Amino acid sequence: MPLNIDWQQILLHWMNLAILTGGLYFLLFKPVKAFMAKREEHYRQLDRQAADKLAQAQQLEAQAKAKLEAADDEIHEERMRAQQSIQQSTEEQLAQAREQARQIVEHAQAEAENSRERALRDSQRELRKLAAQATKKLAFHADPFDQFLDLAEEGEEYEE
Amino acid sequence: MKQHKKALALWIVVTLALLAGALLAGSPGRAETVQEAMRDAVLHDVNQVSLFGLRPVAPGMISAFLVTAVLLLAAAAVRIFAIPRFRYIPGKLQLVLEEAVGLFDHMAKNSSPHRNGFVGAYIFAAGAYIFVGTLFELLGLQAITVHGHPITLPAPLSDVNAAIALGTLSYLVILSGGIAANGVRGVGKTLKEFSLPISMSFRLFGALLSGLLVTELVYYYVNLSFVLPVVVGVLFTLLHALIQTYVLTMLVSMYYGEVSEPGEPKKKARAAQI
Repeated sequence: MPLNIDWQQILLHWMNLAILTGGLYFLLFKPVKAFMAKREEHYRQLDRQAADKLAQAQQLEAQAKAKLEAADDEIHEERMRAQQSIQQSTEEQLAQAREQARQIVEHAQAEAENSRERALRDSQRELRKLAAQATKKLAFHADPFDQFLDLAEEGEEYEE
Repeated sequence: MKQHKKALALWIVVTLALLAGALLAGSPGRAETVQEAMRDAVLHDVNQVSLFGLRPVAPGMISAFLVTAVLLLAAAAVRIFAIPRFRYIPGKLQLVLEEAVGLFDHMAKNSSPHRNGFVGAYIFAAGAYIFVGTLFELLGLQAITVHGHPITLPAPLSDVNAAIALGTLSYLVILSGGIAANGVRGVGKTLKEFSLPISMSFRLFGALLSGLLVTELVYYYVNLSFVLPVVVGVLFTLLHALIQTYVLTMLVSMYYGEVSEPGEPKKKARAAQI
C-alpha cells in the first residue's frame, strides 16, 4: 500500500479510539455532565423558590394595601357617622335647652304676674283695713298720738 | 539578594557544565542520513517497534496506546478521587474539568441542536486524544526498534494509519448521526461529503507530520539543538495541538449537525416552494 497504509494497524487504532471514547465517556464526560446538570437544577430550583417567595410577598403586599385602603374607607365612614351623630345630638340638646328656657321664662312670667296680683290684692286689702281703722278711730275720738303708735306697731308686725 | 545571586550563579555553572559535557561526549554516530530519517518519519517502514511481541508496528501505534492509557488512568483517578468531592462552588481542578467537558458539550449542542448526546462524547474523546497525543511528542519517550535502535516516540497522529483511523472513524460517527436521525436520507446526506474522511485524515496527518519533520530536522543537527527547540518544540507543538483539536472537533460536530437535521416533510416543502 502507498504511504505504508496498513489496514490492520488502522483497525487497531479504531479499537484504541473506541476504548478511549467509551472510557472517557463513562469515567469523565458523563459524571461531570451529570454533576453540572445537578448543579444547574439546584440553582434553577433556588431561582424558582425565590420567584415563588417574591410572588407571595407581592400578593401579601397587595392584600395589605387592600386592607389599608378598606380601613381608610371605614375610618372615613365612621368619622362621617360620628360627625353626623354629634351634630344631631347638639341640635337636640340645643332644642331641649331652648324649650327649657322658654318654659322657665313662661313660668317666671306667670309667677311674676301672680306675685304682682297678690301684692296688689294685699295692698288693697291693707289699705282698706287701714282706712277702716282710721275711720273707726276718728269715729271714737281716741288720742291721736296713741292711735299713731298702735298703727305703727301693727305695721311692723305686718312687715315681719 | 545574596541568595538570589548565588542561585543564579549556580544555575549558570550547571548549564555551562551540561553544555560542555554534551559537546565533549560527542555523538554516537548517525545510523541514518537525514534523507532516511525524513523518509522514515513519513513512511515508518524501517524504524518499527514490536507490539507486545506480536508484530512490528509504526511507533505511532505505541504512542497511541500510551496516550490512551495515560488518558484513561487520569480519567479513572479523577473519577475516583476528584468527582465525588465536587462542590457547587468549584475549585481549580473542577473548574478545568467542567470547562473541558462544557466546551465540547456546548460545541456539540450549538452545531448539532437536534441530536448531540453521542457526538458530544465523541468529540470530547477525539479532542482529548488529539491534544494530549500532539503534546505527547514533547515528552521524548524512547522506544527500541525491531532493529535495536532507540527512537523517540512521535505523536500518534503523525502516523498515517492513526490519522486515517481518526478521520474515517469521525466520518462513521457522522454517518451514524445521519442514519439515526434521517435513515436512508441521512446516508445520502453523508455520502454527499465523500471527500470528508480523506480530507480529515490527511489534514491531521499533514499537520502533525509537518511538525514532526521540522522537529526531526532541528534535532538531526547538533548546532540547531540549542534554544531553537524551545520555540519549535514547545510553542509550535502547543499551537498546532490546539488548532488541530479545534478543527477536527468543530468539523465533526458541524457535519454531524448537518446530516442529523430532520428534513422537512415533502408536502410541506412543496407548499413552502409554492
